[in-house]
Amino acid sequence: MTGVDWFSYSLSDFLMFGPEVFLRLFVRINQDFWPWQGVAVVMMLLIAGFLVRGDKLAKRAVLLLLAAAWLWSGAGFLLEYYGPINLPATWFGWGFILQAALLTVAALVWPWDGNAARPARRWRAGTGWLAMTGLLPLLMVAQTGNWQAIALFGIAPGVTVAASVPCLLLLPRRVRWLFLLLPLLWSVFSAATLWTLGTRLVFVLPVATLTLTLVSFWFSPRPAQSPD
Amino acid sequence: MATQWTRRQFMAALAATGLSVPMPGLMAAPGGKAITRPIPSSGESLPVIGMGTWRTFNVGGDQHLVRERTEVLKTFFESGGTLVDSSPMYGSADDVMGEALDTLNAHDQVFAANKIWTSDGGATREQDGASRRKWSIERFDLQQVHNLVAWEPHLETLKQMKADGDIRYLGITTSHGRRHRDLAQIMEQEPLDFVQLTYNVLDREAEQRLLPLAKERGIAVIVNRPFQGGSLFRRYQSEPLPGWAAEAGCGNWAEFFLKFIVSHPAVTCAIPATTKVKHMEENMGAQYGDLPDEQQRRRMADYVAGL
Repeated sequence: MTGVDWFSYSLSDFLMFGPEVFLRLFVRINQDFWPWQGVAVVMMLLIAGFLVRGDKLAKRAVLLLLAAAWLWSGAGFLLEYYGPINLPATWFGWGFILQAALLTVAALVWPWDGNAARPARRWRAGTGWLAMTGLLPLLMVAQTGNWQAIALFGIAPGVTVAASVPCLLLLPRRVRWLFLLLPLLWSVFSAATLWTLGTRLVFVLPVATLTLTLVSFWFSPRPAQSPD
Repeated sequence: MATQWTRRQFMAALAATGLSVPMPGLMAAPGGKAITRPIPSSGESLPVIGMGTWRTFNVGGDQHLVRERTEVLKTFFESGGTLVDSSPMYGSADDVMGEALDTLNAHDQVFAANKIWTSDGGATREQDGASRRKWSIERFDLQQVHNLVAWEPHLETLKQMKADGDIRYLGITTSHGRRHRDLAQIMEQEPLDFVQLTYNVLDREAEQRLLPLAKERGIAVIVNRPFQGGSLFRRYQSEPLPGWAAEAGCGNWAEFFLKFIVSHPAVTCAIPATTKVKHMEENMGAQYGDLPDEQQRRRMADYVAGL
């Protein structure tokens, strides 16, 4: 195939399914997983709580919970549900499992240094994260008009990635890039897919994640002004 | 040696000899006799409307959608359709088609068409076997090289498979109007039974070279993207059908678009894809009644171009 031929392709030529099939993935996984969605909600609350606490142990716990979320959404949603209709989703599924392994290693072996941020900042970080992670799943509900399609953190990969990126700011910039590569790739893939499917409401999610990821490559939170 | 006839082959033979009559339950057709075209290399008749599976049968393990697609396939068969075309490229479409055929117990009704889609030129038989197992059939009636991918080694193997009786017909496909020059060259040089290409009331490049060449070389033509991937409906469905559409045998836009295609003398069948039973019924309407003549075809193309 020549280069000219490749230019004659559009994104829709690579998508082998329609929006109905894609959006029903969320309904199906929620029906099949019920009532384990409760575990996802507990994970969200725990992460928010650990962000507020902010000490070394809490940081390790946040990364371990993120690892569990990546593992669950990768092995569940991507490999079991999305992969059979879209081959790249299978590759991402294995990528998510690898990311979970990386997060686990970071949680267990990273020698955290420095002081915790001020309590007020930690409070804002924890509650802000919880508000964001609680509201993002509703985008899919608004898109489908169906509560059963709710895209929860830890189950739906898009929300899992979006909610993980701010937490990755806990890691120093010199290693953070390694953890941001997959969010970057996922956001581009997801944005292209949702744009082609014409699901404009949920298209907002990967675009916002992509922006946040790019910022996170360079952003460094201000060092703590004083210890707790 | 005794020849075993499948129900589909028996029905096709009846149709070819003009002995076929509408039989409720066997062919609950919309009305009248289905329009068929002979495959030039054998004379076997094919109904002019087949069914594609691109983007419609790739539903994974969604049993709700598998049941819906099975109803679509059932409507297709009940309306007198036979040719179903799929590809390993279409995700889970082969698995879903196999499940639907099992549910309907319709393996003998289908003219099974599939494709070889791998850059590994030595994997032709392996991929054919994988697709066959998914469809639960002994052999594909038609096996095609998909989008000219590694077409030379695949075609050589398909020739051997045809000689061995592992497939009945062989072909090669393209879509979206791509690589027409290469396809023409292959059509001139290779002993093809079928070609598959894109042709519709707006995409008419095939009229220049490929369709006349197919006629001249005795190659059957399957037309994909007859609705331009659905965009013809999005663009024109809100527009009125012309007052003279009924004279051309068209009662709705689906029949208008499809009859324009299958009335071309070089076209053997078109393969629209749909997820809805209602749309399938409309599509299958194009297999019955009158076809537009050459003058009416020009008028149809002019009308759409002028909208």
